[in-house]
Amino acid sequence: MRGKRYPIPKVPTKIAGLDEILEGGLPRGRTTVVSGGPGSGKTVLGLEFLCRGAIAGEPGVLVTFEERAEAVRLNAAAMGWDVAALEKAGKIAIIEARFPGEEIVSGDFDIQGLLAIVGGHVKRVGARQIVMDALDVLLRIYGDAKCERNELSRLHDWLTDQELTSVLSVKTYHDDYQGSQYEFLDFMADCVIRLDHRVVGQVATRRLRVIKYRGSGFGTNEFPYVFGERGIVLFPLTTAELTHQPLGAKVSTGLEGLDLMLDGGFRCASCILISGSSGTGKTTLASTFAQAACDRDEKVLYLNFEESKEAMISGMLSPGIDLRPSIRDKKLLIQTAMPESTGSDNHLNRVMETIDSFQPNHLILDAVSACVRMGSKQAAFDFMMRLISVVKEKGITSILTNQNNSNGRIGNDEKLSGIGFSSVVDAVVQLRFAETEQEITRQMLVVKSRGSAHSNRRQLYAITDRGIEFPDHPRRPPGRAGKARRKDGGK
Amino acid sequence: MSKTSQAKPRARKGTPGHYLLRLFIAGNGQNSQKALANLRSLCQQHLDGCYTIETIDVVEDFQAAIKDNILVTPALILVAPLPRVIVLGNLSDLPKVLAALRVSDGDS
Repeated sequence: MRGKRYPIPKVPTKIAGLDEILEGGLPRGRTTVVSGGPGSGKTVLGLEFLCRGAIAGEPGVLVTFEERAEAVRLNAAAMGWDVAALEKAGKIAIIEARFPGEEIVSGDFDIQGLLAIVGGHVKRVGARQIVMDALDVLLRIYGDAKCERNELSRLHDWLTDQELTSVLSVKTYHDDYQGSQYEFLDFMADCVIRLDHRVVGQVATRRLRVIKYRGSGFGTNEFPYVFGERGIVLFPLTTAELTHQPLGAKVSTGLEGLDLMLDGGFRCASCILISGSSGTGKTTLASTFAQAACDRDEKVLYLNFEESKEAMISGMLSPGIDLRPSIRDKKLLIQTAMPESTGSDNHLNRVMETIDSFQPNHLILDAVSACVRMGSKQAAFDFMMRLISVVKEKGITSILTNQNNSNGRIGNDEKLSGIGFSSVVDAVVQLRFAETEQEITRQMLVVKSRGSAHSNRRQLYAITDRGIEFPDHPRRPPGRAGKARRKDGGK
Repeated sequence: MSKTSQAKPRARKGTPGHYLLRLFIAGNGQNSQKALANLRSLCQQHLDGCYTIETIDVVEDFQAAIKDNILVTPALILVAPLPRVIVLGNLSDLPKVLAALRVSDGDS
């Protein structure tokens, strides 16, 4: 982890990933504006900040201008927070500040009434933080930009005087943002966070961006976020420095022949790509590895985006691989999903949750080429990069299969259906068909293997009912075998 | 803290024709004081003694503001006769306020 600087006092939000982007949290005793369109999650963000704070012993007040208090309690319950209990314990106060909508306006007025009510509740629970949700609804009763500004200034001054760490949320639409009162709000606030909910390639994606943060650095990119089981989850990949684990010891691929070609096997914590056209045996090769790993008492998470668990298990019985005992022993976990069922961010979150609970040694992703169906090549790229980055940080070996129809022309291979991420791939095993007049055979080639010697021969193989077999005995990499062995201390 | 000022009781409090007006103000704020002055002069000129004004300072008594869901000040509630009406602002627009309170302009 990088050494963090705290140029101004901050309050951690405790929202997964957000504090990294904000380099510690929200500015303490100051105002943060969260804006975004309908459904972008402003309310959830504010609510999560309050609940996590209250649970950690920092009481807070929620002023809701739009939703009813009961709706807020239900929304919170869906994320696993018992707001009613926190209210009872005097840790949270909810103020339903809703206008009946039938008032008649004559002359100037101000929000002293609201401030008096809020101030009373702040005092009662000893609040240190406050969330005002849907402030735009309050502002709407002023038909006049100057009045809105005055009231916002009044509110801001009051919040600052009270030394409250404040989150003000406003609903915005793309068209009307400019020139409105919200611009003034952005100017006034010390920290501005924009939430964006958009549809890319028919798949909904959500992005968070910090626009400004007075007196502090922050991650300036757009960060994807999802609503996970426990609230908002962000994936601040680009804020993190590369903290990947170094490549580990070699482990058997499950095939003696391939181990020889790789001068011992795959390296732990590396990312291995198995590429080949349909029918070359990518899933068979990956399953062979999974089976061997489970036999060594290691845990494997197999993500299958191409076929159902049942179809895969029965398909592997044909080349003699019975995955059922490993599944029964909870060493192998097969997680399947239709790529197009949801956005790449949700897929990623689901995988992360599984990784956290299952703690695998190795992860297999079958297949990269299917990930494009999550929405777009960009979505698939984001998914792959973030996933590989996380597993590398955790020291998990990742094996990716990719359907590639170039049939063995080197160079096309690492383009991976147009998603270029070859820089994170440590080893590439290429499978292809070789056609002669009499027959079609299969050939396996190790294209690259970082930090290791490897054979440069295309090796003939066959898929039999005993698995993958090499008719010609593969050899260790010529010339380098002796050296590599000596370096490894004869392992 | 609420203060009640009542004019000479031609129609008694609680009887038909009696106006019960609740005005929420915030301390000595400019708009609050304007609203109080405007309301007093309106009542004197148009309600002919049949009114009660309740003044509530939200800075002193925020519980009353919660009870009546008053978020902005000054705010006037016509409590009686029903139906209840809420008028926001310093009540500077006399014809509008009279219309809201269902008092006819020429009735003095």
